[in-house]
Amino acid sequence: MLNVSNLRVSYGAIEVIHGIDLQVNQGECVALIGANGAGKSSTLKAICGLVPATAGTIEFEGQDITNQSGHSIVKAGITMCPEGRQVFPQMTTLQNLRMGAYPRKDAEQAADVEEMMDMFPILRDRAHQAAGTLSGGEQEMLAIGRALMARPKLCIFDEPSLGLAPKIVAEVGETIARVKEMGKTILLVEQNSAMALRLADRAYLFEAGEIVLSGTGAELQSHPDVAKAYLGH
Amino acid sequence: MVEVLQQIINGIAIGGVYVLIALGLTTVFGILGIAHFAHGSVSMFGGYLTFFFVTSWGIPLLLAILIALLVGLVLGVLIELLAYRPVRDANHINAFIVALGLTMMVEGINLELFGHEQVVIPTDFSRVFNIGGVTIPELRLYVILAAALLIAAMTVFVERTKTGQAIRAVAENRDAAILMGVNVKTIPLVVFAISTALGVCAGVMVGSLFAIAPGIGEGLVVKGFAVLILGGLGSIPGAVVGGLVLGITEALAAGFISSAYKDVIAFVVMISVLLFRPQGLMGKA
Repeated sequence: MLNVSNLRVSYGAIEVIHGIDLQVNQGECVALIGANGAGKSSTLKAICGLVPATAGTIEFEGQDITNQSGHSIVKAGITMCPEGRQVFPQMTTLQNLRMGAYPRKDAEQAADVEEMMDMFPILRDRAHQAAGTLSGGEQEMLAIGRALMARPKLCIFDEPSLGLAPKIVAEVGETIARVKEMGKTILLVEQNSAMALRLADRAYLFEAGEIVLSGTGAELQSHPDVAKAYLGH
Repeated sequence: MVEVLQQIINGIAIGGVYVLIALGLTTVFGILGIAHFAHGSVSMFGGYLTFFFVTSWGIPLLLAILIALLVGLVLGVLIELLAYRPVRDANHINAFIVALGLTMMVEGINLELFGHEQVVIPTDFSRVFNIGGVTIPELRLYVILAAALLIAAMTVFVERTKTGQAIRAVAENRDAAILMGVNVKTIPLVVFAISTALGVCAGVMVGSLFAIAPGIGEGLVVKGFAVLILGGLGSIPGAVVGGLVLGITEALAAGFISSAYKDVIAFVVMISVLLFRPQGLMGKA
């Protein structure tokens, strides 16, 4: 479904992604793990068109989307739930959810808002509250709901557990598992490697802008290097 | 009491003009962070144009306003594309200099095309209504109604349509708006088109209520920014409340103290509000 080959990304003169290859197949949950600054988020940003790729190609459903503008990538069916949640703080919860359906023109958007509120009941309680006044965990649920409102074919989660209390992190993990059960294809970036590898069908390990290891979630979980460096046992 | 009501009505009329100017400035500032100083002069260009259509070509007033509005929409798009887009990613001072240059340019064009004489857009609304001792000239009533209608339309557009919500989204979080599928290249065009059209309406109102002359536009844009700061930068309800507060204060000051001091008193009110609410009346802290 998503095919990234030989991707290179630079910020100014500094190259941060040194030619990586990765694939996401229909219905899969793929995790990118690795330390802070290894290039996971930059890879996502290049896929979403937020930073330009200096070399390589990104294909989605057989269509070349390398360096296309961000909004046309959303139209192609890729939605990102960004790091730090990035809700629209002065808009209400409801307006944020509706904003997620921005490119859609069908008549089922109102029904989808209801569905999101069934999925995250707290959002119904907070429907008319400015999103900036929600707690971190509530904002994360809103950001996930907003991303799903686009009915994406591929849903990208960038560090969904970052800065949340442990109890909420577990909730976020369960939510992503539910999104997976809905049949969505997921690309997940997480520093919480244990959680990511439990959720993922396959995973790639990033180190200093390169992919050094790949395999199924279970394989990486039991790989001695990963266990030692990222899972803490 | 009647006298106070009378001044408040007068204040609402001029306040409505301030609101229309400030709505344009505040949406432009919200999404692009630009202080669009040329807005007043462009608005007056719309007023001049309407005057020209009516007096030289004999076009009926409403049709003339409609044509001026359409010209305003196109002008807004051109201003964004030709003046501000090239400096979009440059240092903020560049956009500032462009704004000042554009102001001088538009003032020059106004002077060249329409001369230095002050002009009044002729209307045949000469009736005067009297409600409980308060006199309302027909024209002033129409100005108030038209301003209220435009403000309501703008609010509905921003709150109820996808494009309007996208404008808010870009103002609040540009990157997240891109992730929602918002085309951040077309949104500024929409904002400038609408802002300029609202400005043209304000220009027509000034031109029919008072008069248009060189320098009026610059004065108006200063008031517009005062309204923005008073109401809260980037806030649409703030622009509405701020504009009305400024207009009514000015009218009361002119009526009961001295019209020579009305600007002074208006700015004293603004400074006092900011002492207690630095974020403006409706701004978020």
